[in-house]
Amino acid sequence: MSRSTVNRVVLGLVAVVLLAGALLVLAGGLHLYRRLGVTPPSGWPLTSARQPVLSSAARTRWRDREWWWPAVVGALAVLVLLALWWLAAQLRRPVPAELDRDTADHPGLRLRVRSAALVAAVRETAVGLPRVSAARVALTGRPEPKLRAVLLLEPGTDPGAAVAAFRTGPNTAATATLGSPTPLPLDLRLQVAPTPKPREPRERRRRRAPRVQ
Amino acid sequence: MSEPSSAGRRPGPRSERVRPALVVGLLGLAVAGALLYDAAASWTGHRAGSWRSRAAHQLATRPLDSGWVLAGAAVLALLGCWLLVLACARGERRWLPLRQHPGAVIDRVGVAALVETRVVGLPMVAAARVRVRRRRARVTVYGSADLVQVREAAAAELARIGLVREPALRVRGRPARHRPPMH
Repeated sequence: MSRSTVNRVVLGLVAVVLLAGALLVLAGGLHLYRRLGVTPPSGWPLTSARQPVLSSAARTRWRDREWWWPAVVGALAVLVLLALWWLAAQLRRPVPAELDRDTADHPGLRLRVRSAALVAAVRETAVGLPRVSAARVALTGRPEPKLRAVLLLEPGTDPGAAVAAFRTGPNTAATATLGSPTPLPLDLRLQVAPTPKPREPRERRRRRAPRVQ
Repeated sequence: MSEPSSAGRRPGPRSERVRPALVVGLLGLAVAGALLYDAAASWTGHRAGSWRSRAAHQLATRPLDSGWVLAGAAVLALLGCWLLVLACARGERRWLPLRQHPGAVIDRVGVAALVETRVVGLPMVAAARVRVRRRRARVTVYGSADLVQVREAAAAELARIGLVREPALRVRGRPARHRPPMH
């Protein structure tokens, strides 16, 4: 599962838990069941507005059982570990530092390409393309690398032509560098510089006072 | 998650939600870590922390219809709604996908810049301001230009860019703004 999916699922779960708890408290506290004439099923929590959120009886109900503290501590430990793993996943490098080059035709040989070198090469080629004034390039994605590039185009450039030029130029070169048969997946983002404004007539400078040594 | 569908509705990039995940993860870690520390202390025969006794006392004495409980629940409900939106919404609305090139996107400000460059070149246009949203684009022309011609030029430029979802175009004219005479 990709990081994007995990993040969205976890955020959604946290949201549902928060929302359900808060709505239960609100429904009980605002007398919603009585006002709407609904009878909640038996065992439904937090139905009366006079009852506390978490009574001492409910909190200490199983405290004398043998399994209570191990269960609480274990559950909280699992939660802490999951939170740590999730946080680590956010801080992880987006791509391995080195990529394996395909060397099927030379058995016994193993070649690796540094991601940073590949990115720098792609960036330099991209800036050299016609009508591209700046470029930002990164490799993302595990385990399959993916090339992400943001190009800043000069005013009035045809974006389609820029995409085609990037595909045939830097993207093909990067694919050849990695020796992979299929072209490297591409996430290309285009920005266009605004029309250069005609220069405003400048106020005439006041003559500077002569400097006295 | 963002498989390009073959039909005309190909979504742009989806946000990874790294920053909200970091915030929620840190908060969850703090709460779970504090509770874990205190539960382990209780288990091993130490006294529970004063903060937990106080929180338990508050939770056990305040009725559901007290102001603090209701306000807290309302805040938590809003937070839950916001996180739900973050989990479901696409994000990255700044980038619009290109029809001819799957995987390539252009930013809305860039589309506006292209249309503006094209429109400013027309006769009798002193200046133009273009605002592009995902479904609507508005071109404001300063000067006494022919608005039909401006609309044609802007539509042609949008067609040349080739967005998956072409925004509806609105063109309006404004008198040219006064400029001080040059000396």
